[in-house]
Amino acid sequence: MPTTGQVHLLMLSILLFLAGGVVSLFRLWRDAAGLRIGAKACHYSGLLVAIAVLVWHALLRGGNWLPLEDNFEAFIWLAILLAAFVLYVQRAKSLGGLDWFVMPIVILLLIAAVVFGKAKPQSYVDTTWSWVHRVTAYGGAIAFTLAGASGAIYLLARRRLRHKTPAHGMRLGSLERLEHLTLTSVTLGFALLTCGLIAGLIWQLRIEHAGGHTRLGDRWWTSPKVVLASTVWVIYAIVLHARINPVFRGRRVAILSIIGCLLMVGTLVVLNLMPAGGSH
Amino acid sequence: MQRLLLLGLNHATAPLEVREKIAFSAEGRDRAVQALRTQFPQAEITLLSTCNRVELYAARQVHGQPRVEEMIAFLAQFHGIDAAQFSQHLYQKTDQSVVTHLFTVASSLDSMVLGETQILGQVREAYDAAKAQGATGALLNPLFQRAIAVGKEVMSATNIADGRVSVASVAVDYARRIFDSFTDKVVLSIGAGEMAALVVRGFAQLNPKRLLVCNRTHAKAVELAGQFGGEPVPFENLSDHLTAADIVLTSTGADKPIITAMQIAYLLKARRYRPLFLIDIALPRDVEAEAGKIDNIYLYNIDDFQKVVDETIEQRKDSVDSAMTIVNRQVEEFVSWQRAREMGPMIDRLSKRYHHLAAEELARTLHKLHGLGDAEKAHLEDLTRRIVNKLLHDPITMLRKSEGMHGSASQYLHALERLFHLEDNEGNEEVD
Repeated sequence: MPTTGQVHLLMLSILLFLAGGVVSLFRLWRDAAGLRIGAKACHYSGLLVAIAVLVWHALLRGGNWLPLEDNFEAFIWLAILLAAFVLYVQRAKSLGGLDWFVMPIVILLLIAAVVFGKAKPQSYVDTTWSWVHRVTAYGGAIAFTLAGASGAIYLLARRRLRHKTPAHGMRLGSLERLEHLTLTSVTLGFALLTCGLIAGLIWQLRIEHAGGHTRLGDRWWTSPKVVLASTVWVIYAIVLHARINPVFRGRRVAILSIIGCLLMVGTLVVLNLMPAGGSH
Repeated sequence: MQRLLLLGLNHATAPLEVREKIAFSAEGRDRAVQALRTQFPQAEITLLSTCNRVELYAARQVHGQPRVEEMIAFLAQFHGIDAAQFSQHLYQKTDQSVVTHLFTVASSLDSMVLGETQILGQVREAYDAAKAQGATGALLNPLFQRAIAVGKEVMSATNIADGRVSVASVAVDYARRIFDSFTDKVVLSIGAGEMAALVVRGFAQLNPKRLLVCNRTHAKAVELAGQFGGEPVPFENLSDHLTAADIVLTSTGADKPIITAMQIAYLLKARRYRPLFLIDIALPRDVEAEAGKIDNIYLYNIDDFQKVVDETIEQRKDSVDSAMTIVNRQVEEFVSWQRAREMGPMIDRLSKRYHHLAAEELARTLHKLHGLGDAEKAHLEDLTRRIVNKLLHDPITMLRKSEGMHGSASQYLHALERLFHLEDNEGNEEVD
C-alpha cells in the first residue's frame, strides 16, 4: 500500500507530465526552442519524480527486488518504461510528436497507480512462468503503445501531406521513418506478446494440473482477458503481414497498430477491473 | 580618430548590367584589396562582392585617405570602365550608418530574397579574405565580427530564415516529409527544360540511387542527365520508369496529361504500393488531378509549391520588425563601444594637457613668491587642480552626452582634438 506522501509525489509526477504534454502540444503550431526545452524539462522531471516514488515504495516494502509486487508498482514501472522509451526514441530518431500520443497513456497509467494502487495487492504464485508472463506482457505492451503512437503520427503526417500543409510547427518525421518505427515496434511487441501468451497458457495449465483455481475462472480460455489478448495477437499478426503483403502498407498498418494498441489498453483495464480472486 | 566609410551598389540601386560590370570574382576581390592597401596603407579595407551587391568598406583617419572620390576612381580604374557608367547608382555611408547597413546586410534584411542565409557566409568570406591580407584592423575587425554575430542572432532568434522560397527547395522539403533517405530512391524527370533542371539540381544533391531523365527529344535528356550524373532513358518506356521511380518530376509541354490516374492505379501493384511523390510543374498539367486521390500517391502541382513560397515570404516579412529590433540594439551597443574606445584616451589627453599647463604656471608663480611654507604651497596646488577640473567638467560632460544631440560623437571628438591641440603624437595604437 502506498503512503500518502508517495501518492502526493506521484500526483506531482502526473502534473509534470501533463504540463510537458501541454507545452509540447503548442509545438504543433510553433516549434520554438523555448517550448521544446520546456516540454523536455517537464517530461524528464516527471520521469525522475516517478522513479523516486518507485524507489521509495520499494525501500519501504522490502522483499523482492522486482517492482511488480502490487498494482501500484506495476503501473508506475510500466509508465516509467514507456516514458523513458519515448524520450529515448524522440532523441535518437528526431521524431517529433511521439509524446503527444504516448504521454497521455503514461499519465493514465500513473492515475491508475493512484486509484488501483490502494487496493489490496494481488497475490500471485511466484513461479517462473508467472514472471515470464508478466515481464514479456509488459514489454509487449510498451512496444505496442509505441507502435500505436507512431501509427497515429503517421496518419497526422499523411493528412498534412494530403492537405498540402506547409511544414509550419514541429516536424513529425518522414512517412517512411514512421512506418519503419511502427513495423519494428510491432515486430518486437508481437514476439514479446507471443512469449507472454505461451507463458500465461503454461502457467494456467500448471495451476489446473495442480488442481487449483485460477483468477480467470475455470473456463479461463473464454475469459475477457484471454479473448482480448488473443484478438490483439491476431491484429498484430495482420500488421506484420504488411512485410509480406504490401497492400497493408502505409495507412492500413497505421490504423491497425492504433486499433491493436487500444485493444491492448482495454485488456489491461479489464485485467485490473476484474474481481481479484485466488490464483491457484 | 577613425572614420568609417562605405561605398557600394546593390540590386535596389543598380540594374544587372551595371552590377555585373562592377562585380569582383574571389581572386579579383583579393587583388583589389591588395591594390587598395598598397595605395592607402593607413586605411583598413574590406570588399564584399556578391551577385547582388558590391560594397567597399574603409576605416581611416578623419582627414585620411581614401576619400569617396578616390574609391570611385579605384573601382573605375580596376574594372577599366568610365566612372560615369556606375557612379549614379552608388550609395555612400559614414560612421553609424555604415554599422547599421552592414548589420542589416549580414542579417539578410537587405537581400533580394528576404531571409536568405547565403549572405552571412559571403560577409564572413569577404572579412576573412581581407583579414588574411592584413587589410583589417582596430575598427573593421570588431565591426565585421559583430556583424557576423548579429546575422547569426537574427537568423536563430527570428523566423526570418524559416521555410523555403523557391519551388525547387519546397519540392525537396516535401520529399523529405515522405522519404527518410534518398540513397535507395529513384528520381525520374519527365522533361528537360530550365525549370526541370532547377528541381533536378535540388534532388541530385540528395544523392539518389538513380536519377533518370526522359524527354521526347532524347538529346535534351542526355544533356540534362549529363549535368547531374543521371541516366537518359527512352520516353517510350515511361510505364517502366514510373514503376521504378519514387519521385517523379514532370515538366513537359504536352497539351494534355501524359500520366493518368488509371495508369497510376494500374501500376500500384507492380510498385508494391510504395509511396510515389509526383511533382507536376508543367502548364498545362502533365498528371491528371485524380491521380492525387490514390492511396500512397502524393501529387503536387506548381500552384501548391508557389502557395508555400508566397506564405513563406509573407511570414518572413512579419519577422522584419523583430529582426530590426535586434539590429538596432546591436548597432547601439557597437557605437557605444566605439565611442568609449575613442573618447577615453581623448579625455585623458585633455585632462593631462591642462593639468600640465596649470602645474607649469603654478611653478612660475611660486618661483616669484618667497617665504611660502609647505602648507601654503599645498593649498595653491590644490586650488589650481580644482580650477582645471571645474573648467574641464562641462566640456567632458557634454562630450559624454554628445551622441545623438547635434551629430555624432566623432564630430565633437574631432573638434576637441583640433581646438585644444590634442593630436596624438604617439601614433594611433592599433588594438585588435
